[in-house]
Amino acid sequence: MTSYNNGGVFNPAYHDSETLEVDKRSSRKPHHSNPYANEDLALWGERADLRNDAEHGSHRGGWQEESRRVEESIPMGFITTNSTSASWQHNVYQSSLQIDGDSHYDPSPAARPISSMSGNMTMRWRGIAMRRMSMFPNSDPAFTEEEAEDEEQNLVKELVALSTREQVRQIRGLPMSFERKKHIRRQVMAFKSSKHSQHFTGFTDCSKNISLSFRRCGYGIKSARQTLELWHGIMKEIGGKFGSSVLTYFMFLKWLLMFNIFSFLVNFGFITIPLLVHDLSPNIPSNVSFRGLELLTGAGYFNYTVMYYGGYSNETLRGLVDYNMQLAYFFTIAIYMVLCGIVLIFSMANSFKKNYALADSASNSAWQLLCSWDFSITNDKTVRQRKSNLRVQLKESLSEKSLKKRLTLSEKLQQYGIHLGCWVLSTSLAVGCGASIFYLCQYEQEAMDSGPWSLLNEAETLLVPFVVSLMNMVIPLFFSLLNKFELYSNQRRQIYALLLRNVLLRMVILGVLCYYWMNVVPGRFLCWEPMVGQALYRLVIIDFLFLMLGSFFGEFLSNVIGTQLLPRFGVPEFDVARNVLDLIYAQTLAWIGIYFSPLLPAIQILKFFILFYLKKVSLTQNCQPPRRSSRAAQMQTIFIFLLFFPFFVGALSMVAYTAWSLTPSEQCGPFHGLNNTFSVVEIWIAGLEGSSDWVVWIYENIIRSELFYFLLTLIIIVIIYVFWQLIQGRKELIGLLRQQIINEGKDKSFLLDKLQYLQKSYSEIPAGPIKQKGPSSRRSDGHSSGSQSNSNAMVQVLLARQQLEEEEQRRSLGGVSVPSDISASSAMTQALLARQRAERQNEDFYQMPEEHPSSLNALDQAMAARQRALDDERDEYWSTTDFNERNSSASAVTQAMQARLRAEEDRGDDPADLPSPTSSVMIQVMQARQRAEEEERMQWAPDPLQNPAPSGSSALIQAMLARQQAQNEYDDGY
Amino acid sequence: MGSTSSQLDKDALSEYQELTFLTKQEIILAHERFSAMLPQEYKGATNIRLPMEKILEMPELKSNPFNKRICHVFSTSQPNDGSLTFEDFLDLLSAFSEAATMEIKSHYAFRIFDSDNDGTLGREDLEKMVTLLTGDSKDTSLNGEEMGQLINNILEESDIDKDGTVNLSEFQHVISRSPDFVSSFKIVL
Repeated sequence: MTSYNNGGVFNPAYHDSETLEVDKRSSRKPHHSNPYANEDLALWGERADLRNDAEHGSHRGGWQEESRRVEESIPMGFITTNSTSASWQHNVYQSSLQIDGDSHYDPSPAARPISSMSGNMTMRWRGIAMRRMSMFPNSDPAFTEEEAEDEEQNLVKELVALSTREQVRQIRGLPMSFERKKHIRRQVMAFKSSKHSQHFTGFTDCSKNISLSFRRCGYGIKSARQTLELWHGIMKEIGGKFGSSVLTYFMFLKWLLMFNIFSFLVNFGFITIPLLVHDLSPNIPSNVSFRGLELLTGAGYFNYTVMYYGGYSNETLRGLVDYNMQLAYFFTIAIYMVLCGIVLIFSMANSFKKNYALADSASNSAWQLLCSWDFSITNDKTVRQRKSNLRVQLKESLSEKSLKKRLTLSEKLQQYGIHLGCWVLSTSLAVGCGASIFYLCQYEQEAMDSGPWSLLNEAETLLVPFVVSLMNMVIPLFFSLLNKFELYSNQRRQIYALLLRNVLLRMVILGVLCYYWMNVVPGRFLCWEPMVGQALYRLVIIDFLFLMLGSFFGEFLSNVIGTQLLPRFGVPEFDVARNVLDLIYAQTLAWIGIYFSPLLPAIQILKFFILFYLKKVSLTQNCQPPRRSSRAAQMQTIFIFLLFFPFFVGALSMVAYTAWSLTPSEQCGPFHGLNNTFSVVEIWIAGLEGSSDWVVWIYENIIRSELFYFLLTLIIIVIIYVFWQLIQGRKELIGLLRQQIINEGKDKSFLLDKLQYLQKSYSEIPAGPIKQKGPSSRRSDGHSSGSQSNSNAMVQVLLARQQLEEEEQRRSLGGVSVPSDISASSAMTQALLARQRAERQNEDFYQMPEEHPSSLNALDQAMAARQRALDDERDEYWSTTDFNERNSSASAVTQAMQARLRAEEDRGDDPADLPSPTSSVMIQVMQARQRAEEEERMQWAPDPLQNPAPSGSSALIQAMLARQQAQNEYDDGY
Repeated sequence: MGSTSSQLDKDALSEYQELTFLTKQEIILAHERFSAMLPQEYKGATNIRLPMEKILEMPELKSNPFNKRICHVFSTSQPNDGSLTFEDFLDLLSAFSEAATMEIKSHYAFRIFDSDNDGTLGREDLEKMVTLLTGDSKDTSLNGEEMGQLINNILEESDIDKDGTVNLSEFQHVISRSPDFVSSFKIVL
């Protein structure tokens, strides 16, 4: 009795108390949990042997099971001794077992790990277990135990069948305690080794060892990567204090740094090192020396080094192997760009899949706010701040929901007007910037052409990058100001608008610069590529200086203003979007520059490295954690997308245009003397002719063939179309499934209502007749043979009826939809009859209460049937569609009711033979259930697509009710 | 701390690696941290149970609003007093690690939020969760009406089968639609 305490569970105070939770858990756990989960380690104690422990656990579990069964079988005894509280006790007992089977069986925490061993492959079991639990909440309590064993065995079996890698993955993904995972793993291993021992041991041993060592090696590599992880501590600190949205910026920075390191290694390794190995001394004219200004302008001395395109030769380096510099230059850059593109596409797609495809459109839903609580925050102050922010946001979301006011037309027009004005203003601003930069470039060119090359002249080249960086810094601030005037209803839309404008600005600026470099510069210089390289170098450097200034002005100054001068503004927040855009812009410069200045990534690495520390210091000194939980994951996706779409694609097309269409300069660089860069490949292929024809064939028939690309495009379009259709199909399916879930939920609640109603009506009956149950059950033994024959006849009658009804049903299913009223009204009639009968019986009951203890069941049944009929009728009116299903469900109800009526009649006919109706009702109920199941099958088999849920679930209801009834009878019988 | 790392023998280490989402470094670090919390005479042993109060002293968990729930969920002690063995501790870190799957994370999140351990998030659970997340002092917490409305909103959003509680699959459904969860359900040692 102590192990199973319903009263406690049903007492809300008990629910809420923290202190009692522990013993409640412990008292409930052994029933359902797998014995292996029971770990019996004392505090500071020694470790118990697993096997011992398991045995111990199962033993204990078994004992408790037994005690429970005892408890279950003697409730009546218990009640007889304590008649005042008997009905209550009984009721609670029942409700705990039947109505709220939920709270004990289905989801009990200890049972959950078993029922929901997740991972895709165990999904099936979970489904089965769940269903079983909800279908038969009061079946043999031992089933959980056995079931657990079974499921574990199944799990082990299924795991054994998998490959080792998959095994590890699956075991790791099981939501169980470590002990259990360990146990399962050991079982799997043992199973495997026993299987293996039957085969030839030599080979398998060997392969096992190899796979083991491979796995170890894999872990080693993973660990090494972990060690190499940059700034782990700093990242943790930032995440702990500022949350994951700010951390996004730093992750992004790190990611870009990795890009640049890779790029630098590739370029340096394949282009620069061979050249340096071949010819160490750069051919610098004697009159050029290092003056210091080069660090800013990139001109002068640097112009003659390997920094730029001009420093490379077109020779084939002859050493141990011939090294064609032209090909190396071309392919290194081409492959780097392609790899970048692939990496970007993959990370973008991955991020989209994770963060966007499934995301909810409602941005402020309460769950989202609650779920985005940052567990990584460790700073006490931040936690407090977060809590209050969250509270504000939750309140906002509440008020938004309640006050969703409709704007009037004039207000709407006004808002649209403001938006339009802002867009026009910002677009014209961006265009104006682009135009001014173009004229500035031209002016600079004229100034340079006019005079001789001097230091002042060189310093003048800094004007364009200075202006560009200034624009990049100031105009976004203006945009933010503009953004404040616009009243966006949606915070997300506001951020997107701001982001879009900034992107537009930068695209215009870069576009103008690229146009200038592509169209004007090549005509003016003999050696134009290094000039573009220099310009890019200057941009990168000045941009860096401005980033530093920006964090000074943007963060430090506003901090000072916020804390000292105008406390109204408060401490600034770290503007993730603006900072990330700066990074994207910087990276785009590096990508464009890769062709003109292969070692630009080195500068970029340095820049990002310093920037990281700078931003970190600036952040921790000046900023406060963000007030709103901006959706970090989605923002990150957008950033990656932006990096890919306008910026990387733009840089790629610029480089591709240069390589395909522009004539390389005549005087310098690896490609001088060629019509365009790509002709390197043509020459190479021409050289290959004769020696390796397949390469030539591939080149001619695939790379240069329009037909190939045409076909490829066609195929891809077809595939895309197919996938698109698939997606549409899935969407429909999701809609259907969702509808089904909702229907099931409705059915469930309906069913619960019914059961509760039954319980209530049951408990209203005075406790008197229950006392009779004891003797009556004893009497049942004597009459067993009589009841047997009786029930046999019953069964036959039922079968005949069933056949008849099935026919009828088939007719109604096959034919045109029969008006629903017919069946409804017949159900109604039935119900009335039932009621009448019940009342009669009730009278009987009052006349001779001693003799008719079972008639109260009849009353119950009749009440239920009546209610059901009424409900059914209501359903009928609710949904006038789906006639067929409704009809069948109604007929199912009728059927069940008729069966019940028959039972009652039977009971009425021979009141002396009390036990027989009990058992016959049992059988009947079984029949009804069977029928319901059959019906369900029938419903599902012919057209599973036409949303057959309602009838299926009503059949389910029937089954559940029947079961409930059976239980009642069963209990009464004892 | 090199000496402590050597106390984890190779087989145990590789087993830990196979059974958790942690890397070798992380396991070693976890071991170091764990044994640093043990009293002197038990240094380095893995089978010792560390009481909840000790665990909660860790800076990573100290200010976490759910810290007690986390300990209770991951503890395998009988009766459950929130104390953790090293393996429980690894389990905790594994579930909160970066590499852990959504499935695992949402499973444990559910159990953490389910403060009465009844397997569904009922109104009381949700209320408790919101209170933990918004602070429980008088002036800061939501008033009764707001709370009721909020809980209604939550249930309306997520309770697909309309049984008045949020069960695991409903919870996972919600989680799958809020992408921030995976990135924020994380504790780094």
